[in-house]
Amino acid sequence: MKAYLVLETGEIYSGTWDGGVPRAGEVVFNTSHSGYEEIATDPSYYSQIVVMTAPMQGNYSVDNSVWESGKIWIEGFICLEIQNSVRDSDWIERLAKAEIPVVSEIDTRNLVMRLRSGGTPWGALLTANTEAEAKHLAIGLIAQKKKISKDWVHSVSRTKSEIREGDLPIGPKVAVLDFGCKENILRELSKWSSELKIFNSRTPASEILAYKPGALMLTNGPGDPADVQIAQRTVQELVGQLPIFGICMGHQILALALGAQTYKLKFGHRGSNHPIKDDLLKKIYVTSQNHGYAVRRESLPQDVSVTQVNLNDQTVAGFCDPKKKILGIQYHPEACPGPHEAQALFGYFFERIV
Amino acid sequence: MPLKAGLKKVLIIGSGPIVIGQACEFDYSGTQACKALKKEGLEVILVNSNPATIMTDPEIASKVYIEPLKPAYLEKIIEIEKPQAIIPTLGGQTALNLALELYHQGILKKHNVQLLGATPEVIKAAEDRELFRNILDQVGAKYPESFMVRTYERGLQVAEQLGFPLILRPNYTLGGGGGGIAYSPDEYQKMLVQALHESPTTEVLVEASILGWKEFELEVMRDSGGTFVVICSIENLDPCGVHTGDSITVAPQQTLNDREYQAMRDEACLIVNAVGVETGVQIFNLRYIRRLVSESSLK
Repeated sequence: MKAYLVLETGEIYSGTWDGGVPRAGEVVFNTSHSGYEEIATDPSYYSQIVVMTAPMQGNYSVDNSVWESGKIWIEGFICLEIQNSVRDSDWIERLAKAEIPVVSEIDTRNLVMRLRSGGTPWGALLTANTEAEAKHLAIGLIAQKKKISKDWVHSVSRTKSEIREGDLPIGPKVAVLDFGCKENILRELSKWSSELKIFNSRTPASEILAYKPGALMLTNGPGDPADVQIAQRTVQELVGQLPIFGICMGHQILALALGAQTYKLKFGHRGSNHPIKDDLLKKIYVTSQNHGYAVRRESLPQDVSVTQVNLNDQTVAGFCDPKKKILGIQYHPEACPGPHEAQALFGYFFERIV
Repeated sequence: MPLKAGLKKVLIIGSGPIVIGQACEFDYSGTQACKALKKEGLEVILVNSNPATIMTDPEIASKVYIEPLKPAYLEKIIEIEKPQAIIPTLGGQTALNLALELYHQGILKKHNVQLLGATPEVIKAAEDRELFRNILDQVGAKYPESFMVRTYERGLQVAEQLGFPLILRPNYTLGGGGGGIAYSPDEYQKMLVQALHESPTTEVLVEASILGWKEFELEVMRDSGGTFVVICSIENLDPCGVHTGDSITVAPQQTLNDREYQAMRDEACLIVNAVGVETGVQIFNLRYIRRLVSESSLK
């Protein structure tokens, strides 16, 4: 039996099966050199098979304290080489225990070139005796997987609201609309607030206002922002009533609520090495990114200015309207994994906007 | 970054003979710089005492001087060529030291020549271990306990305080020449005399040993606007105690998790910002940092 990655567009790649069960998902790539455990536990990777461009994975073992949520969300892990030795096979074991398929010894360079030139199709990781059998099995797996609800944000959001104590007793209470929240967003928010309340993605505006928060956080999350139910309307109601900070999916929902449009990027931005020009912090710096969609610049209302730009492809990376007290950031100021320069944006939001 | 106004002619200082700590990478960087500057329409004057280099090939620079890398010869060249600026960052320690000498002797001021890529303050901060230690304190970076020693007697006192083995690092020497590790008082006394002698400023940093620790390097770049990038991280396969020049290295680093790596990156950014890089035509500051992680903290 051989291990295969089959893309829905017909391409097939063979490698070594290192554990897990066959699964399907959107095939995306990430260019981070470190941070495999943070990436796998980030809910924004819901329904995605991740291809790591860095050739060696699992090389510094595992650490529960870096998890970005309570579980592993990815649908598959592909790399050139994975640490699997007598001395250390913790990462591979952790993935296998979560039934995540791991396939190594795939020509990741070739695969990533394919993803860059042709976009990110769905695909399946499985074992089979022949390529023909693999293709046949893959069609079934992909079709099955595509039946899931299109509102990916709602699928990963907390069902019950949760209250957490903040580190700053004199700070405001902050409401968090959970679109697939990374732990480090909550850690960063704690530094600036007296209390956090994290709500399900479909919570109505009235329930959020009843909590009497000083600010609203819209978190990161998976999938197409246009498929997210209710949240857009909720945010529309709250703009002008609360200072709002949106990150990644939150930034996109905020844009949609303002009447702007989003579109799918050809192969997305995933990695810890994306340069940004930031007019708010007046700096150019390298950031952590993970998104497949972006906000269409010309669709934003006139009084909202684009304040951050991705220097690789000039896409909108952030916008701000001090009058409406809103800030949207497409990349990840909370880092984890990735560089910390953009963390200053949390300070900017709480000191200059709230 | 736009070209600096009024700049027409620059002088590049090569690194001289190839030795440990100043190998062919400086020939490469100098050659690339000549090409890039000429492409910008500048006249590039090159001085190097080593004719066995690519950069001294006739077609690389606009004009080549093969002369000893000493202040007197440089002054002569400056008098003849009248460049507006000198780039000292492409010729390793030799060029940096030479630029510092030109500055101290007032030659730069006399001929109205600017230093590009590094100011005397930056060269001093990066090369003077005591100044650098102050910067590390300023940003809260940790380093092994050490003392700057200027006399033999003080050296003996310090050794008693720190215990053996000890590391000797003379100031302003090529690739740490004259330095080393002393395992016993006998060895230490001999090495101390040699190290004090080798340092042009008769200064030796005596440091507690970190033998056997892991060794990493970061190649970073920062411009006058504060834009900071890590060009690459490097991990030494051999532990501390084996000179980097003798060690196999892997890029990027392989055994730090993201949290540890980002902590190292953050610290590098703080240090480089504190050292400060003044503006020039080409703001190019390359430096490395070694972060040490004890085996006990590894799983």
